Amino acid sequence: MVDLKNLESSIVIIYNDHYLDVFRFLVYFSGNQNDAEDLTQEVFIRVLKNLPHFKNGNNLKTWIFSIAKHVAVDHYRKKKFISVFKEGFFSQLESKEKRPDEEFEITEMEQLIHEAISKLKPNYRAVVILRGIHEFSIKETSEILHCSESKVKVDYHRALRELKRKLHFDAREVLTNAK
Amino acid sequence: MQNDKELLDMIKESYPQHPSKDFIFLTEAKLRQKARRMNRNGKVKRLSAVTSSILFFTLSFSWFFLFNGKEVMTNILTNTGGEALSTAIDEKDPLVYIYHTHNTETYNVKEPKSAADTYSETKNVTLVGKELSKALKENNISNIHDDTDVLGILEDQNLSFSNAYNVSRLKLQETLNEYKSIKMVLDIHRDSQKRSYTTVNIDGKDYAKISFFVSKINDNYEANKAFAERLHEKLEKLYPGLSKGVFEKGENPRNTYNQDLHDHSLSLNIGGHENTFEEAYRTADALAEVIEEIMNE
Repeated sequence: MVDLKNLESSIVIIYNDHYLDVFRFLVYFSGNQNDAEDLTQEVFIRVLKNLPHFKNGNNLKTWIFSIAKHVAVDHYRKKKFISVFKEGFFSQLESKEKRPDEEFEITEMEQLIHEAISKLKPNYRAVVILRGIHEFSIKETSEILHCSESKVKVDYHRALRELKRKLHFDAREVLTNAK
Repeated sequence: MQNDKELLDMIKESYPQHPSKDFIFLTEAKLRQKARRMNRNGKVKRLSAVTSSILFFTLSFSWFFLFNGKEVMTNILTNTGGEALSTAIDEKDPLVYIYHTHNTETYNVKEPKSAADTYSETKNVTLVGKELSKALKENNISNIHDDTDVLGILEDQNLSFSNAYNVSRLKLQETLNEYKSIKMVLDIHRDSQKRSYTTVNIDGKDYAKISFFVSKINDNYEANKAFAERLHEKLEKLYPGLSKGVFEKGENPRNTYNQDLHDHSLSLNIGGHENTFEEAYRTADALAEVIEEIMNE
């Protein structure tokens, strides 16, 4: 699959096979289309640079996702650092990040979800996205996150519980059940 | 469990699921470019560096000692020292970026049998950009002239002509990120009208006429239009009749002509295919003069 003699065609094949998954992972993680696009590009540039070190027997997809997770966490750290400065000064300014051609409108519920996810700590966020949405197995998730399988299980449950608490999901269910 | 699934589906549905088409295309092109560079760096460079340095060493060794190399060498060193230094400074803070999205448009074609005759891979509008770059440097305006063979890249990658702006955009974007000093971006094209429409005689000399075009569909539309008009007026003062004026385009087919990247972006035609290179060079020199005036304002 990975042919080092022809880096160009290898990376193009890899990119076309995986960009959608990587983009989606990053859009859940960052919560914003522009950031997700920039980060996706960064991921594949890193994939290309590290391609000569990739061992052919390994799982390509989990390898790419482990790079994506690193890129996402790096971005999160930078953003956190910047937001310390921004908060006081610019919080009243309207965000101009949305492009004029962006037709994606956000409803109130979606807004709540985005907020809840962005408040999860990065590791929990990654586990929810990988296990829950991308449906990686426990073993694959542990490979991507470089941790034990039992940590994946524990983190996944804790993260989901926290999300539900934030969204009052349990309370809602109790109410509907009570009807 | 039902509960979990419901929650996850809600998450899934609340985010955009697709990157933009432009993004997909540009990223692939960028990866190709980087992969090619890596390949080249890896193999060719190492090999050629070794062989060429051996060759160079033996050649210069024999020349220096067997022939009268020493004297020539000291002459060259003292003569070129100053000049080499000044070009090095030039490239540090470039003010103008010149490029050619349709780089193979050519001149001096009297009776083209088809549109293909008005394009040339070797002698084309890139030379006019080069002349402009040279004239600006003579006026101490540092600049970058990008002579990327955009149409060659399109052919290599089997892309259609309409992708030319996406390709020329790559280098432009990279350069703008790297050099914040750039104050003006020029994409130089050539018109395809008859000679009588594209030529003007000023003080007994024929010049290739200039026309500016501004994209109506980008955020910098107002700023770019004002800038193009300023240049047009300046040209009118110094070389009456040389500029045909500012035209608005880009709505059908939709195209920003990369003018969204910088608020002093100009796309312009210099002359038509029936003009000679000489006439186009003359216009490039005149344009350099006007740009210098504007820069000093």
